[in-house]
Order: sequence, then structure tokens, then C-alpha cells
Amino acid sequence: MRQKTVYLACLILHFSLILTVSCRETLWLIAHGLTIAPHTVNRYAEKAEAFIAAASGQNLAASNAFRRAVMTYLHIAGVERGYGYFAPNVPASYKIVFELHYPDGRVEYQLPRVHSAAAGMRLAGVIDEIARTRSDPLREYLVKMLAGSVWRDHPDVTAIRAVFGSISLPSISEFEQGKRESYEFSYAYDFSRTDKATKPKNP
Amino acid sequence: MTSAVPTKQLSRKIPKQLERWRELILQFLFPVESDTWLSALRLGLGLQVIVYTLSLRDDWNYLLAGTGHGLISRNLAEALLSVESRFVPRLGWLVSLGAYVGLSENAVLSIAWVCLLGTGFSLLAGLFCRSSAILAWFLHLCAAKSGGLLSYGADNFMTVGLFYLMLSPLPDRYSLDWRLRKSPSKDPHLLGFWRRVLQIHLCIIYFFGGLTKCFGNGWWDGSNIWRALIRPPSNIIDPEILIRWKDLFPIAGVFICLLETGYPFFIWGKRTRTIWFTCICAMHLAIGLTLGMYLFAFIMIVLNAAAFGAGLVSRSRTESQRKHGTGIIDRRAA
Repeated sequence: MRQKTVYLACLILHFSLILTVSCRETLWLIAHGLTIAPHTVNRYAEKAEAFIAAASGQNLAASNAFRRAVMTYLHIAGVERGYGYFAPNVPASYKIVFELHYPDGRVEYQLPRVHSAAAGMRLAGVIDEIARTRSDPLREYLVKMLAGSVWRDHPDVTAIRAVFGSISLPSISEFEQGKRESYEFSYAYDFSRTDKATKPKNP
Repeated sequence: MTSAVPTKQLSRKIPKQLERWRELILQFLFPVESDTWLSALRLGLGLQVIVYTLSLRDDWNYLLAGTGHGLISRNLAEALLSVESRFVPRLGWLVSLGAYVGLSENAVLSIAWVCLLGTGFSLLAGLFCRSSAILAWFLHLCAAKSGGLLSYGADNFMTVGLFYLMLSPLPDRYSLDWRLRKSPSKDPHLLGFWRRVLQIHLCIIYFFGGLTKCFGNGWWDGSNIWRALIRPPSNIIDPEILIRWKDLFPIAGVFICLLETGYPFFIWGKRTRTIWFTCICAMHLAIGLTLGMYLFAFIMIVLNAAAFGAGLVSRSRTESQRKHGTGIIDRRAA
């Protein structure tokens, strides 16, 4: 009986954490107006999300032992994220193209390269992350990393311009009217041999 | 004085009621279960680990290398992870350990890849089940966390599956361990408990997945199905072909919302379980075939098969045999 009680306690703790993460993610989406829920609900969702975050120790300092313990467990059990895949709506898609400048004035275009479709799927995730992140230094660092990988394949290139953009997908009716997938420029980074990126150029 | 009698009765009644509830909860959480589901989980995860490892064969070192060799730096993902917790396993630990004994980063990454592949085969055969499950969980977690930005849903579900597998009462009776070492029988209540954990977890996954989809307008008019199918890099079917099926998209969108949200309510019932299980597996199969997300599709089918599928076939066969009076009852279909 004691063994069962221990298992029961662990189960309650485990699923409380999973429910906390899942509820919090759903409430966050509602609070930020990303759903079809009426706007009057947003305020309550925001409060509920803040309450859950506080209860699960997310507002504590990053060095706090309780918070660290919870985060460690969430990661090792694979439950640190909610389950809103392709939800509430399918997100936008992004693309990065590298403009390679050679010493003789030649210009070539290159996409980030991987060897397999499985890795391609993962690469798309990185490009989406570049678009999603609100941290400019992280975005620049990621673009620089991708540019660096292209540079290693083309060592004679003197400068690289990384052009980042979103892929505009046509709706069903737009597709029927002849509109096709298009690429919309978001910003560009220039990298030279000194490895320093110039400020991004916005449209 | 007059109210003392009902109060006494009530105070006797409440503990009895509570006791009954506790019994019911324990009966639900610790049912007698065979290890067929555990065999399904072990075999499925073994296969999943093999496919996962082989699919990244040519890119493993490139994706997971530190600064200067790879696509994006592993060090970045590990630094971001350290902000949340320094105790989550990562490849950086293994690389440091390798450096200590004079191994290069490339060599350590290659060894990790080989070991992960080995654990996949070992799980499939059922050899050293527990150690293989722990090692597979650890190495996959290291890769997923060090990959960081490169990981997606399939990695999370693999971690979940491997986490439950390593904690479950291994080995199962179809494993080589069982046959070679004559392991003692496992507690059927404990087997039932771990299956319940997986079942409840899947219910939460689908409920929240479905609920969040219900909050998106694109699932009700089918536009999200269209967008998912034409969105790179999942655009493997020509939109010219897809457009012919446009009338089905709203139906499919609503169907997915209802299927996922209704999962925790209809997967338990004897009559609805087969329908829900079949539809969910068909949905994941369709995701694998039309979006090219075969790793994600396969892990979800494996988790469903272990949680609700194992025993479903033998149970329906037993019922049909009982109906037609053909006799032999399969005791494993408990």
C-alpha cells in the first residue's frame, strides 16, 4: 500500500506539472489575442496565466533552486512545452537566402544546406526561430552562424548578404485566381571578411 | 443532543465515502495488466530510435558540432538551456568528458551516434532492456537539448516515450532478456499503473492540442489544412492536386478538432475506443505521408498503440470467439 501511495503522489506531481505547462500555453495564446476567443476574455486569460506562472515558480529568479528543479524535471521528462502544434493557426513560413559576393564581382545565391529531408525539417525550425525571436542580438547571431556555414563551403567569397524574408502563402481562392507563393523581404545582414555584421536593412 | 445522531452518521459516512473513492481511484490507476503494451512501446521506440538516428546519419556532426564546424553552434543551444537549468543532459558534457581522455569533438559525436543506434537495435531485440532504455533516453535527450533550436515535436514525444519506457517494469516477456535470463514475472498492477500514466498523458496531449486548434479560425474553414499542406518544407504534394480536394478541407479541419478534443472522452469507452484509436492513427499516418513528418507520425502511432492499441486486437478476437463459442480465451487480453 505504501508503494502505491508513493506512486500516486509522483503521478499527481507529474501531471500537475504537465497540466500547468499546457494550461499556461493555451492561456498565453488567448491573452495575446491569437485566438478567436472574445477580447473580453483576454484580460482574464492574462491574469490566469500570470497566476499559473507564479504558482509554478516561473516568476522566481533563474538561480532559484525550486525553479531550477522544476525546469530540470520538465526537460528530462520531455514536458517543458505545451501541445499546441499548428495551433491555434498554422504559422507563417520563412526563408533565408545568401548572396555570395566573389572577388571578381560575381554574385551567386545560396540557401542554407543540409544533406537530408529530416535535417531540412529541423533547419526550417531554426529559420522560423530567427523570425520569431524578439532578441535582435540572438537573431543576428543565428544569421551569422548560418552565413558562416555557407562561408565554409565557399571560402573564396569576400562578402555575404543574408536576406531574410517571409513566404506569403496564397489562400485557396487566391490560388484559384492564379496567385502563387511569394517571398517578402524582411531584412538583410551584410557580412564581410572581418566577420562583423552591418546593421540590418529593413524594407 | 437531537442533532448528534445525524452528525455521527455523517461523520461515519464521509470516511466511508472517501474510502470508496480512494479504492476506485486505486483500482483505476493500478489495474491488472499484461505486458503486451510494454512490448509494443519497446519495439516501437526501438524502431523510432533507429529511424531517427539513421535519418540524421549525414548531418549528425554538422548539426551538433560546437562553434566553427556546424550549421549553428551547439554551444548556443546549451548556453540557452543553462539559463533554465544546468542539470539537463547535453552533448557538451560528453564532449568535455571525451576531451579529458583525448577524444576530439567529432569522435565523441560519432560515438554518441553509434551508441544511440545501438540502443535502438538493443531495444528492438529486447537485450539489456533497462540499460538500453536509459542510455537511449539519455543520448537522445542530449542530442535534442544540444540541438535546441533544431528540435521539434517529434523529439519531445520521443523523450516522453523513452522516459516512460525506462521507468516501466522491464523486461517484457517478448524480449530476449526474458528468454535468456528467465526474469521473474512483473507485478501486473505496476504494469497497469505505467500504462495508465501513458494513457492519461496522451489524453492531455490531445485535449490541449485539440482545444488550442478549436481556438483558431483556420481549422473551422479548412484554411489551416491548406496552409499546412502548402507550407515549406512540408509542401510535398503539388498544390494543383490539392486544390481538387478543397471541399474536403473544412470537413477535415473540423474533424481533427473534434477528434483531438474528444480523445480523452471517447478513447476509454469500449464501443468508441476502436473508432477513436483507428481515426487518430489514420490522422498521424496522413500527417506522415502528406507533410513528410514521418518521425512525428511514427512516434505518435507508437505511443497510441502502446497506450490504447495493445490488447485491442486480441480483445476483439476474444469477444468474437466468445460470441461464436470457439472457446480459447486469451488471458493476455486482460
